[in-house]
Amino acid sequence: MSEDIHALSGAYAVDALDEVERARFERHLAGCSACQTEVDSLVAAAHQLSALTEVAPPPSLRAKVLAEISTVRPLPPLEAPEPAEGSEQAEDSAADELAERRRARSGRGFGRGWRLVVAAATVAVLAIGGFTVWRQVSQDPQRVMADQVLAASDATRYGERLAGGATATVVRSSSLHRAVLITSGMAQPPAGKVFQLWLQDATGHMTSAGLMPGGGDQVVVLSGDATHSKGAGITVEPAGGSDQPTSNPIAFVAFA
Amino acid sequence: MVPSGDDSSEGPARPVQLEQLLRRAATGDETAFAELYDAVSPRLFGLVRRVVRDPAQSEEVTQEVFLEIWRHSARFDPSKGAAMSWMLTIAHRKAVDRVRSAEAARNRDEGYGASNQDVTHDSTAEAVVERLDAERVHRALETLTPVQRQALEMAYLSGYTHTEVASMLDLPLGTAKTRIRDGLIRLRDTLGVTL
Repeated sequence: MSEDIHALSGAYAVDALDEVERARFERHLAGCSACQTEVDSLVAAAHQLSALTEVAPPPSLRAKVLAEISTVRPLPPLEAPEPAEGSEQAEDSAADELAERRRARSGRGFGRGWRLVVAAATVAVLAIGGFTVWRQVSQDPQRVMADQVLAASDATRYGERLAGGATATVVRSSSLHRAVLITSGMAQPPAGKVFQLWLQDATGHMTSAGLMPGGGDQVVVLSGDATHSKGAGITVEPAGGSDQPTSNPIAFVAFA
Repeated sequence: MVPSGDDSSEGPARPVQLEQLLRRAATGDETAFAELYDAVSPRLFGLVRRVVRDPAQSEEVTQEVFLEIWRHSARFDPSKGAAMSWMLTIAHRKAVDRVRSAEAARNRDEGYGASNQDVTHDSTAEAVVERLDAERVHRALETLTPVQRQALEMAYLSGYTHTEVASMLDLPLGTAKTRIRDGLIRLRDTLGVTL
């Protein structure tokens, strides 16, 4: 299937991919400038169709929207303002910029452990208004493994819908012995807490499968052999993680 | 991403204006945001309404869309595309996410007839505004093959995945995505879409 991943550009542009395909394509997109250019132009073309569906919303919606926004402040920009070239970050390469964004994203009060996990994940997820853009930070085994699992011929998908519209999907490949967790729209963990991942064996025992780099949209390889696992869970744990879950899972995806 | 080809001055707002309004909104300027709302809400609400279909849910989703635009206004990057396109991307993704949740899917199926008629026969002055834009898009769509057009409309306007489109149109697995892509390329080239 990986040979024709370029062919997904159109379906991606109109949001016609499922979560797994979307995650895979976004990883591909990060390293394929031809696809990026094509996707941008196809997205623009697709949105022309919205000219056909224009309808004025009921007047009451305007009042609701304006009342709601007055209670929330806009988020700060992700990066320094554009003319910041002359500042001390003048040598600012693309990689530096990405690292900066990654820090900005992961630096929400998380400890050093988080940063390490984030670094290991090799991707920074920039959630830009619901539109997630994957950027490759460097080629690393985690990323390669995630791609392999998602593209494996025996990849099997298990999904769970969480509170608030978030989703957690696990894709497992028995031949590769690995499972990948894909989350979408998850809230951030409470201050001072982390999301920890678990694999459950046939006896119900939970083994730590690593920490997750925050909420939002993530693609994480679960550490450990998932071949015989019966399910994967996510719990909220104190910073640094725990040896055993100390709370009920906020998500549990059964491999069945 | 208001088409720039025909210079109809009654278009929602010129792209530059939208970008300026977004930039002002990013500083917390609610008046600018209200102006932005007036300029783009028919486009965004109309698209959400078409995808989600249920009127009450469409309003909910549209409200979420505007909240997201407000919160992320400082993160809009004009070098990556037009403001309208950015906002439509947010609206479309949210509408599709909503319609794919199981309950919403059920509501949509049950409510299809009624909501659809609603849209078609709504004759209030604020209903569908036919613009030059719409005519251009209609004409461009006519250059697509029937299958390309159908696949594209089912995906973009109804929020189906390419796999669902394939099974609904009885296409061999894997070919719907090609039809969608070919259709979009034709649309892009016919309309002369620029980023």
